[in-house]
This record gives sequence, C-alpha cells and structure tokens, in this order.
Amino acid sequence: MRMPIAVIVALLLLAGAGVVQAAHDRAYPAVEIEDAPIYIASPVALRRLTEGFNGMAADLYWIRAIQYYGGTKRRLDALAQSPEPPAALADKSDYQHLYELLDITTSLDPRFDIAYRFGATFLAETYPSGPGRPDLAIALLEKGLRERPEKWQYLQDIGYIYYWYLTDYRRAAEYFERASDVPGAPNWLRPLAATTRAQGGDRRMSRAMWLSILESADVDWLRVQAERRLLQLRALDDIDALQARVDQYAARTGERVSGWNALVAARVLRGVPRDPAGTPYELTGDGKVRLSERSSLFPLPNEPLKLTPAP
Amino acid sequence: MKATGAIAINVFRESVRDKVLYNLVFFAILMMGASYLIGQLTAGQDVKIIKDLGLAAMSIFGLFIAVFIGIGLVSKEVERRSIYSLLAKPVRRWQLLVGKYAGLVLTLVVNIGVMTVALYAVLVYLRWGVSPAVEKAWDAPALDPALLKAIYLIFVELALVTAIALLFSTFSTPILSAAFTFGLTIVGQYSTDLRNFQDVLDSPVAQQIARGLYWVLPNLGQFDIKLRIVHGLPVSAGYLGTATLYAALYIAFLLVVSALVFSRRDFK
Amino acid sequence: MSAALRTEELTKDYALGFWRKRPYRALDALSISVPAGEVFGFLGPNGAGKTTTLKLLMQLVYPTSGRAEMLGRPVGDLAVKHRIGYLPEHPYFYDYLTAEELLRYFGSLFGFSAAEARARADRLLDEVGIAGERRLQLRKYSKGMLQRLGIAQALLNDPELVIFDEPMSGLDPLGRRDVRSLILGLRDRGCTVFFSSHVLSDAEALCNQVAILARGRLVATGRLTDMLAFRARGWEMVVAGASDALVAALTPRTRRIVRIGEGRYQLDLPLEPPPERLLADVTAAGAHLVALNPIRETLEDFFIEQVASATDGSHRAV
Repeated sequence: MRMPIAVIVALLLLAGAGVVQAAHDRAYPAVEIEDAPIYIASPVALRRLTEGFNGMAADLYWIRAIQYYGGTKRRLDALAQSPEPPAALADKSDYQHLYELLDITTSLDPRFDIAYRFGATFLAETYPSGPGRPDLAIALLEKGLRERPEKWQYLQDIGYIYYWYLTDYRRAAEYFERASDVPGAPNWLRPLAATTRAQGGDRRMSRAMWLSILESADVDWLRVQAERRLLQLRALDDIDALQARVDQYAARTGERVSGWNALVAARVLRGVPRDPAGTPYELTGDGKVRLSERSSLFPLPNEPLKLTPAP
Repeated sequence: MKATGAIAINVFRESVRDKVLYNLVFFAILMMGASYLIGQLTAGQDVKIIKDLGLAAMSIFGLFIAVFIGIGLVSKEVERRSIYSLLAKPVRRWQLLVGKYAGLVLTLVVNIGVMTVALYAVLVYLRWGVSPAVEKAWDAPALDPALLKAIYLIFVELALVTAIALLFSTFSTPILSAAFTFGLTIVGQYSTDLRNFQDVLDSPVAQQIARGLYWVLPNLGQFDIKLRIVHGLPVSAGYLGTATLYAALYIAFLLVVSALVFSRRDFK
Repeated sequence: MSAALRTEELTKDYALGFWRKRPYRALDALSISVPAGEVFGFLGPNGAGKTTTLKLLMQLVYPTSGRAEMLGRPVGDLAVKHRIGYLPEHPYFYDYLTAEELLRYFGSLFGFSAAEARARADRLLDEVGIAGERRLQLRKYSKGMLQRLGIAQALLNDPELVIFDEPMSGLDPLGRRDVRSLILGLRDRGCTVFFSSHVLSDAEALCNQVAILARGRLVATGRLTDMLAFRARGWEMVVAGASDALVAALTPRTRRIVRIGEGRYQLDLPLEPPPERLLADVTAAGAHLVALNPIRETLEDFFIEQVASATDGSHRAV
C-alpha cells in the first residue's frame, strides 16, 4: 500500500474507533463511580492496596469527587432552569456518594488540605447546590483536625458551618475561640468569637464577619464565598426594604399588590427591582417580596427551603 | 496467505517451546491454593473471591504474556538478526507482522482457554455439597456462564494490548517497548478519568487536549466488567458487540501503523 | 550474457548523531555487474560496505539513491525472491526450532507443499553435512553448524542466484573445503554465486570476477586473471648445473639466489630487464634451465595496494 493511502486508512480506522466508542459511551454510561465505593468500602483497605501510590490515588479520587459534585450540580441547575415542576427536585439523593468519595480521598492522603476545605463546602451547600449535609461537612473537617490539630482554618470552617447552616451560635463561637487559641491564628478570630456569642444571628454582625474574612482571605474561593455571602445579606436588606414599601402601599390604597407594575405606575418604585446579582425580585400573589429561584444568590439564608440537621 | 499462516504457527510453536505456557501451571497452583485457604469462609464469599481472583489473575498473567512476547515478536528478531533470512523469502513485510500478531493471539487464546477450564474446575469443587437454595441467594451462581463474557472481554483487551506491544516493537528496543506498552496500558485503564479531567480544567486549550487524548488513547476501561459479572449484574450483548467493534477498529489501526513503520525501516 | 545482478550508482547514507544528523556514507555510488553463471567475489576490508551492499540487495535497508536489480527485476520484487537464496553474516534463527523444522518452515514460505518441503530439507541437510543433528534444537548448534544450516536454507528453493555474506566464517578447514566445492558445484549447475569475503585465498580459488571495495567505494573490478595478469612482480628461474663462478657472476643481476641442491639454484629476478639475456648467459655457461615462471602478484598484494591507495597511502592491516 502506498504511504499516503495507508496513512489515510489508519486515520479512518482511528476515527471509526472513536465513533464506536462514542456510541458505546452513550448507550452504556459508565457506572464506575457507583461501583468503586461499594467494592472497596473500607478506605483503610484501599489505602493498603494502593501503597506506594497513595498520593496519586488520592488525586484521582479528588478529581472524581469534583467531577461528581460538579456534574450533579450542573444537572440539577439545568433542571431548575427548565419549566419542570419543583417536585422533581424533591428527591435529595443525587449527591449520595459525595461523602464517600471525599472520605476515601482524605483517607488516602490525610493531609489533603483542599479536599477537606472544599469538600466541606460542597457537603454543606444547601440542596440543590449540594447535598445539604453540614453534619457530614463537620465530620470531614474533624477528621482533618485529628490528623493536623494545628489547622486553625478547619476550626474556623466548622465555626462558619455552625453559624451559617445550623444557626447554632453558641457552638460557632466555641469553635471560633478554639481557632483563635491556635498559635499563628489571625487576631480577628477572638473578637469574632465574642460578638458571635453576644449577638448570634445579627445580620450586621454577619456582615462585619464576612467583611473581615474578605479582607483577610488568602484563598480565592474564600474570597468568592465572602463576596457571595455579602451580596446575599444585601439581598436580605433589599427584601426588607421592598417589603416595607409594598406593605405601606397596600395599607394606603387598600389594594392587594400582586405585581410590580402597579407600584411602578404609582411612582413608588422607579422600575422593576433587581437583586445584587441582577435578577428581578419576585412579588408573590399574596404580596410577599422574595428572591427569584433563578437568581444565582438563591437560596438565601433563612429561606423556607432551609434544611434541618440530618439524622 | 499461507505464508502468513505459517508465520503465525511458528510464533505459537516458539511460545510453547519457550515455556511460556508454564504460567498456566502457576495459575493452576494459585487457584488451588487460594481455594483451599479461603474454603474456611462462609459459602458464597469464597465463590465470589475465587471468581475475582481467577479473573484478575487471567488479566495479569495474560498481560505479561501479551507484553513480553509481543515485544519479542519483532524487537528480538531484529536484535538477533534472525529476521534477515526471513525477509529474504518471498514474503512481504506486512505479512510478517500480521502473521506474528496472529500467532500471539493464538497463544493467548490457548492460554486463556486453559485458564478458563481451570477456573471452572475450581468452582465446581467449591460448589460441591452446596444446596441449590443457598446458591440461589448468591449474587451469581458458581458456574455462572456469564463469567465467559468477562473472560471474553479480557481476551479482547489482551488482543489490543498485544497490538500496542507489536507497534512499539517495530521501532523500539525490547526494554523501551515493554515500558511504553505498560505505560499506555495503565493510562488506558484510566481513560474515563481523562474524560473527567475536562470538567476540572479551566483553560479551554487544556480541555481540548484532554478531550483529544481521550479519543486517541486506547480506552481499556470498558473491557473490565469483572465486577459486574461477579455481582450478577447483567451485561448486554450490545455492550459486548460495541466493545468488540471498538477493539477491532483500534487493532486494525495499530496494525496498519505498525506495517507502515515496519515496511519503511532499515535493519542496521 | 545478461547480468544476473547489477547495481547503478547505489548509495547509502546513514544518519549519525542524535541532533545534527551528520550523514555517514556507507556506500558511495557503487556500480557493478555480475554476469550470469559466474562466481563473483565481493572483497574488501572490514567496514568497507560489503554487508551494506548485500543488505541493500535484500532490501533489508533502503538506498539513499541509485538502483539495483537481480535477475532483471528491481530489488524487492517478490517473484524474484523465489529464485534467489541469501546467507546472512552470522546466521541466527530460532532457538527452539530444530534444523528440520526450520527448513520445513522456510519451505512453506516458498509455497512448497509439506511433502515437497520435507524432501528438500532432507536433501539439503545431507548436502551441507548436518543430517545427524537435524532433530537438535538450534540453540544447541555451534557456529559452524549454524553456518551450514544457513547455507542449506539459502539453497532451499534451488535458486538461480545466491548471495552469500562471508560464507566461510565460523568454519574449520574441512568445512571451508566443503563450502568451496559446494560453490563450484553451484556454478557448474548454472547458478550465479555472489559472495562477500575478506579471506582472499578463497576468492582466488573460486572467483571468475571480483570487485574490491574500500571505505564504501569501488576501487577495482574485473576478471581476476585480467587484474593479475600483467602484474608480474618478477621472474623465478630454476637452473641446474650452475657452477660457483656462474652463480657469482649472476648474483648482481638477481634479487636473490637460493641454493636448492647440488648445482641447482633458484634465482629471484626483477621484472626488468626481460630474462632472455640472463637465460642466454646461463645456457652459454653450460647450465641448463629447469623452470622459468613469472612471479605473479597475488590477490593479496593487489588488494593491499588498491586499498592502501584508496585510503591515501596509509597501510591498514587486513
């Protein structure tokens, strides 16, 4: 066979193989993510199995964890955007393997810092952005602390979770204090503990805490978190202010307000109000202002969709 | 074509005489020893473990045979100069290559065939005296014919790895060929993770590279259905079909490239 | 007479060095022609390019430029491979095959039936003298036995043209004599024999024509007799009945006089002047001529001279 023909044939064969593989992947999606935790239920056994390559195995599982989390989140986000009824989102088992994957990752490499911190963030996220399991998030961070008790960042992270997701201000303050006791911890942790203990769920205090975190954050994701929280707090403020105006108007005119147009027409508002992320606020049929589910800031803390501590 | 067949038979004869098939003895000993040792566990567990062990051993032994004979197919002949008298005969270079590949595949078939028989023999022994009611409760029966599906895909994967070894041996020394083949085999096992990389990488260039690599590198993970079979989960004929087709196309690709390289090189 | 083998400006460069590929010219524009039915010696010191040439002919390597043909067809033609035989240098086959099996295997590659292959194998094993070891695995063969087997496999298909690379290597004197008579036998059967060697005595004994290669270049080619014919170095005269006085008188005109018996002397004479004068003087003195022979230059002398001039006057040990 002449050279150019042979090269073309070879490339066609490779392309053909690719096509077949694509069809195969479509018809038989890989289920190994499910299988792996089932088969090697004991992370300790897995660790012995990959002896010598633990670091690489940990990296592999971390990447799988991210892909699992990211893929599931994207899928649920897409569902939320579509005109499907919210009932489809009621089943919360989509993230069921996330903890297992993170557990394996951190067993293979007990000093895998971002696996602990990011992992906890993923775990604590309210459904549908995450499994909504702050208890598991705390368990993961506690595991990290057993390996490295000097990590004040983990203590601080646990404090946030108590504060933000579980609204247990006493515990949150405890952890902030423990964190501040670790040598090398930043000096704003102690006042933070104090104010948390004193004022609990005060929005102003929250804002102050997040501002201080924003200023001192050394990791990108922490900064992003802080910015997001601050925007959410502003949204809460907005909603309070808007609600006040709506109620005022309703009281004045005796009408039931069900849309922004009436208010805009009455010059109460200049235009349809938007949240800090740019999505318009919604006005329910019974006159309540709320954040749109489509907004990137959804869900706000203190929303009805707030979850209860897992069993 | 007769010439190609003669070359294939010769490769088989060489492997047999080179005591390659002694690995079967080792396999048999391993199987028997393991079944004796774990016969203490509750019935059901030992069957599963023997299946896992048997399939894994088939994979690993087969892999070593595929690589070490595969690289010897050409590299060793070139190094020892036995290829000179062979190429003086009225045989085209590609016929030589295809013949050698066929010979090694034949060796693998025989090897795996014998190992299959041994595995089933051990399973018969383990199932002795176990009541049918108890066996029903297991994930899969002891003498599960579905095991043959897993073994079939192991064989297909080995045929692919052999083709990879053949390709490297057409232009590289035996040691390098072995290293490259093992390396590519390991990477191929984790090709699905390569696809996952896409979701994790930020830059679109890196994503394209990851995606490109995923399509070009051999995807060996799909041939590993050991877990599913042992747990009694179904594997459809369609799955086997597309996996086989993929392997056939990829092997053809490797053989064409091997023939191209081999036909053009100088034998110093 | 048509040429059984012909090359035209055959050249082979090898790329040396990993980064800057400096080409090393192993063969430079070789043009030779081997007439059918003759024994042709392809001579040269080690590293001259002989094996490279043979590999180019067998298409084990590809030429950088130039062409070659065997039996009228270009190199690599598949049909021609049915009619030629090749013996590589240091033949090596397959450890675990027996001689018998190897010949039958190669026979099947030629398309012979099993019976045909077996018959030919038997005949050839006898002819090269390893019939006794036919069932022994090749890894147990000595160098000499492998060489004989190599010759056997080269002749399996009754070729019209055989190409031998150092056919005598590894053989003891008996073996070499066997191969020599085998080569002459092949010539008598009408087969063309083209062999490379650095052992000149074999070439002298066997070849009709030779080509001499040095440093990749052809330095001489032609009929052996032609090349050595007019290259007499001198004369050797044997006289009898010479008196001491005669010997004393002749000594300044000779290079050497050796007494080989009573009154019998061997004179080593220079090429010039022609020996007729001296012969007349000898006869006139009463002695008589026993023998007068030109001292031919041997192939070795010729060879060394040619190779030395090709390598710019530096003498190389062969």
